[in-house]
Amino acid sequence: MSAAKVKMREKKMRNQPASVQYPSSSSNVERVGNTGYNPVNDFHLHLYLAHSAGAFARARAAEVSAMLKAVRKTTSSSRVFEALPKHMRRRAMSHNTKRTWDIRKARRRHGNLLLEFNRRQRKNIWLETHIWHAKRFHMVKKWGYCLGDRPTYKCYRACYRAMSSHCLLQDLSYYCCIELQGDEDKLLAALSQLTSKEAGPTFAAALCLSGRRQGSVMVYRAGRYPSQPLGPVTFLWRPRTQGSAHRQLWIWAHPTLKQDLLPELQTVCQCCEAVLPPAAPVVVNLTLEAESEPENTPEAKPVPGTKRKRSRKDATGPPAKKILGDGTRLPSTPVSWRSSSNGIVINDLTMEIVRYRLIGPQSHSVLVDTLEAATGCDKSQTCSLWWPQHCSDEAKMTLHQQQADIFNILKGIYSTAELPSGTVLGLTVDDPRLTLPRKRVKALPCVKQLMLEGVPEPCCQSFIWEQSVRDNVTDNKISEQELNRMRSEVLVPGSRLSPTPLQGRVPILLVHQPGKQVGHEMSSWGAGWDLLLPKGWGMAFWIPLVYRGVRIGGLNMSRKHSQNKAAPHFPRDYPDCPAGMRFQEEQEAELLDKFKRHPPAKRTNYIKHGCVAPFRCPWQQLAEEWEIIVREGSSQTRTTAQADAVTEERTSQQAISITKPPSRFTVLRCMNRKALKLLSAWCRPTTSKGQRPCRVGELPPISCEAMTSFLSAHAMSLVWVHVSLLSKGKPEYHAMLCVPTPEDLKALGNRQGTGGPQEPPHRDHFKSRIKHRKKDPKKAATSSVTPNKPDGKKTDLIFASDLDTNTSKDPKSFSESSSDLVLGLWPDPLPSVASHCSRVTVGWVTQGDFSMSAGCGEALGFVSVAGLLNTLLNQTSEHKGKLLLRNPTSLHYRFAKINIEV
Amino acid sequence: MVRLKSRYLLCEVNVSDRSQLLLLDDRAIMVAVKAAVARTHGDYGAAMCSIRFCVKYLNAHTGIVFLRFPKRCYKLLWSALPFITSIETRGQKIPCFLNCLHVGVKLRVCTKAQYKGNTNYLQPKTNKQLKKHEV
Repeated sequence: MSAAKVKMREKKMRNQPASVQYPSSSSNVERVGNTGYNPVNDFHLHLYLAHSAGAFARARAAEVSAMLKAVRKTTSSSRVFEALPKHMRRRAMSHNTKRTWDIRKARRRHGNLLLEFNRRQRKNIWLETHIWHAKRFHMVKKWGYCLGDRPTYKCYRACYRAMSSHCLLQDLSYYCCIELQGDEDKLLAALSQLTSKEAGPTFAAALCLSGRRQGSVMVYRAGRYPSQPLGPVTFLWRPRTQGSAHRQLWIWAHPTLKQDLLPELQTVCQCCEAVLPPAAPVVVNLTLEAESEPENTPEAKPVPGTKRKRSRKDATGPPAKKILGDGTRLPSTPVSWRSSSNGIVINDLTMEIVRYRLIGPQSHSVLVDTLEAATGCDKSQTCSLWWPQHCSDEAKMTLHQQQADIFNILKGIYSTAELPSGTVLGLTVDDPRLTLPRKRVKALPCVKQLMLEGVPEPCCQSFIWEQSVRDNVTDNKISEQELNRMRSEVLVPGSRLSPTPLQGRVPILLVHQPGKQVGHEMSSWGAGWDLLLPKGWGMAFWIPLVYRGVRIGGLNMSRKHSQNKAAPHFPRDYPDCPAGMRFQEEQEAELLDKFKRHPPAKRTNYIKHGCVAPFRCPWQQLAEEWEIIVREGSSQTRTTAQADAVTEERTSQQAISITKPPSRFTVLRCMNRKALKLLSAWCRPTTSKGQRPCRVGELPPISCEAMTSFLSAHAMSLVWVHVSLLSKGKPEYHAMLCVPTPEDLKALGNRQGTGGPQEPPHRDHFKSRIKHRKKDPKKAATSSVTPNKPDGKKTDLIFASDLDTNTSKDPKSFSESSSDLVLGLWPDPLPSVASHCSRVTVGWVTQGDFSMSAGCGEALGFVSVAGLLNTLLNQTSEHKGKLLLRNPTSLHYRFAKINIEV
Repeated sequence: MVRLKSRYLLCEVNVSDRSQLLLLDDRAIMVAVKAAVARTHGDYGAAMCSIRFCVKYLNAHTGIVFLRFPKRCYKLLWSALPFITSIETRGQKIPCFLNCLHVGVKLRVCTKAQYKGNTNYLQPKTNKQLKKHEV
C-alpha cells in the first residue's frame, strides 16, 4: 500500500474498534485500541488487575464505548451530509456541499416561522395580507414595501370585467396616513400655505370640512403655489364634536410623497418637538374579563382532548410576537410631533390603519354582504373591552342605530356610482369571520331603492378615529385558532356562534371613491369604496371579502384602473413633482439595465429608429425647445403692422427670460379649469375613436391673438392628454406624439384606411465610433468627440450649460462620454428632441395600452402646450387635434386623435 | 451490488480462568481456527480458510472475537468452530471453547450486537446513562 492509501485507511478506521491485546514482548508494540482503559506495558500488573470484578466491568464499559463510537460515527471518507440517515438526506446537498440540512418541520413551527418572517420584513414592510399575496402574486419591493404586482394566474380580462361589472379588491394599506390634530382655524391657516384657491377646492372646502366627504387636493411646497408641486393627497376631516373647536384630520399620501410632505407639514405647523412614544403600550388584561364572565372563558375549564400546551399558556408566552404595523421603524423613532406655539399635533399613522379599495359598480353589494352592523350586548356587564362600554351609553347607541340603517339602505342601490363621490360612512361591524360562507359565493345586488341621499353629518363619525379604541380593538382580536376552536364546540356544525364573542366588534370607516370624472364617455367608471380598518384586522376582513367572489388586483391593475379612468397615476404621471422625478430616474435605470442585458446584436438600435430618449421623457428640454420655436415662428409670420406691438411684448418676454434662470416646466392640472376648457375646445373634442364630435359650449375660436395671450401665461407648460388611435396599433410607454404634415393629413382625407406615414431610417453615427474604440481603445479615449448638432440653438444652449458645469474637467468628460457610449442609444447631451425626426415631436406617452372599453389603442401622456397650440393653429377645422403616434421600436406613424378631458 | 460478500461471526472465548484471556492474541486464534477446520474438513477446508479469513477484532479483556469468513463457505467453516478445545499462545495451552453469539452481514451489525449484549453486563446506572446515547 502506498503512503496515501495507508493514510486514507487510517482515517477510515479511526472510529472502528481496534483489538485490545497485550504484546507478546514489551519491545514489539502492537495495535492498542482506544479503549479509554490505559494499558500499561507491565503485563503482570494487568494479570493482577484482571482478577478484580471492577476491572472486568471497566473493561466491558470501555468496550461498549468503543463499540458505540464505531456504530454512531460512520467512516470518515464520506461527506457531512452522507453521514446523515437516509430519510434526512436531500438531493440538493450532493450538489452543493456547503449546504447544510435543516428540518422542515422545525423550520415551519409557528414560533420559528414568525421569527423568520419578522427577520425578513426588517427592510421592506409587509402588509397584513402579505402571505396571502405572496402565494398568488408576483411580488415587487417598492417604496419600502413588499407589494403584489400582478397575479401569477391569467386574469387580466377577468379583472377588467370585475372592475366594470362586479368588484375588484386591492390592498392599499401601503398608503401613508398622517394625522393632524388641533384647532380648526389654526389647522386651516397652516394648511392654506400648501394649497391655493386658484387650483380648486382646498382643505377648507365646506363639504369636506364638515367631515361628510373625502376631499382630494394637489399639495405644493409652502408658499410656492404654481412652481413647486409635491403631489396629490386625499384628506378626511373628523366630524365636529359638540362645542369643541378641536379637530382631527387625516391626510392620505402615497409613500413616495410622504418623505416630502411630512417635513413640509412640520414646517407649516411649526411642529418640531418630537413626542417620544410611550415605553410600553397598555395591553388590556384579558384575565380580568375572564373573571367577570365565566361563560365566555373556555380556557378556564380543562376539556379532555385539548392540548396540554394551551393550558400552560400563561407560563411561557409565544416565543415571537407578530409584527403589527410598521416593522422597519425602531421603537424609539418618534411618530408624533407637537407644536408649542399653536398646539397642533402631527401623528404619523403609517401602517396603523388598513385600507382596502373595492372598485366596481357592485362593491356596495360585496360590502353589505360581508359586513354586518354590530349587534348590541348586555348593558349590565362591565369590562375593559370598548364595545360593552359604548353599549351603556344611550346617545352612542342611537348613533350606531342610524349608521346601521344607512348601511342597510346601501343594499338597495343599483350601482356604487350613484352615490355622491367621496361619501363617508362610519360604522361598527361584527367580526366578518363569523359570517364566512362555507363556499365562495358571488355577491349579487338586490335593487330596492334607487337613490341614497347623502349621509348626514353625525353618521360620518366613527370610533376608528380614536387611538384608544383602535388599540383596544387590535389588542383584543380573537386569534384564528381560538375562533376555530369555538366553532368546533358549536352544537350544530357550521351554525353561527352565539352569543357573538364580545371582542368581535370593529369600528370601520367606509369612504366612497369617485370613478371617472373627466370626459364624456363612461363617466364614473371604476367608482368604489375604500374600507378603513384598525391594524391587525387585515386578514380577518380580507378572506370574507375574497369569499364574496371579488377579484384581487395588484399594482398593475391599479395602473390600468387609473388608465381607464384617464386619471394620472401617482408617481408615474407627475413628472413635475419630486416623487415623479425620482420615479423617472428609477425607471430609466431599470429599463437601461434591461436593455443592456440583451446581447448587442439583439438590441433595438434606437438611433436608427430616430428615438432620442427611449427610456425617459426629457420634458424640460421639450418645453424649452417649443417655447423657442413658437417665439421665432410667431415673429416671422407677423405682419409689420402687428410686429411693433408684439416685438415690444417679445422683447419684454425675452428680457424676462434672459434675466431669470430657465424656469422649470409646469403641468396644467385639472385645477386650472378655465385654461384647460379653452384648450379642450380648441382640440375639437370627439368620442374616443374620433367619429362623433361632442358638444362644446361657446368659447372663442383659436386665433393668433388668443394663442399669444394663452402662451404668455403657459408657455412652459405641459398638458395631460388622452390619445386614441384612429386605426390599429397599440401604443407603448414613451411613444412619441408628433405633428402630421399637411401631406399626411391629405392622405388621411383621401383614404381613411391608410396606416400612416413612415419615418425614414436614421444613420447611426456612433456605431463607427464604438467600433473604432473597440479596435484602438487608447486612441479613442484621447480623441475628442464632437457631438453632432443637427439643429442649432437648443443644443448649443444645453451644451453651454453643460460646459458651465464641466469646465474644470472638460477633456475628461469627453473621454468619459465616449466610453459611456451604448450601442443604439444617444449619448448625453441629447440633440434637439422636438425636431429630430421628419415629423416634429410635441410630447410623449406615459401609459398606453389596448383599451378594452373603447376597443382601440388608447394612451395617456403629456404634450407641450406651445407645441400643441402651434399645431392646432395650422390645422384645418376638419383635422383639428389629429396627431401622429410612433412607438420607440417602430418606424410607423399612426394617426391618433387627442382629447383634453376636463 | 458488486462486492466481496462476507459473514462476520461475533464469538466469545470462554475460559475457566479469566486471567488467561489476557494472553490471547489474534494470531493465536487464527491458527487455532485454521487447525480445527483442517482437522474436520480436510484439505478442502484448509484451502477455504486461506481465502479472506481473518480475525477482525479481539478484546483480550472480555474475550470477544470478530471472525470474518467468505459468505460462500461460512457455514462449513462455522461447523468446525465447536471443535476448538484449546488455543495455544505464548507457549501456553489455554483450554477454552468458542461460543458464537451473532452472525452479521456487516461488521457494523456485529458491533451493534456486541454493544447491546455488553450493556446487559453492566450495572443499571451505567446502563441508564448509556441509553441516553441510544443509537
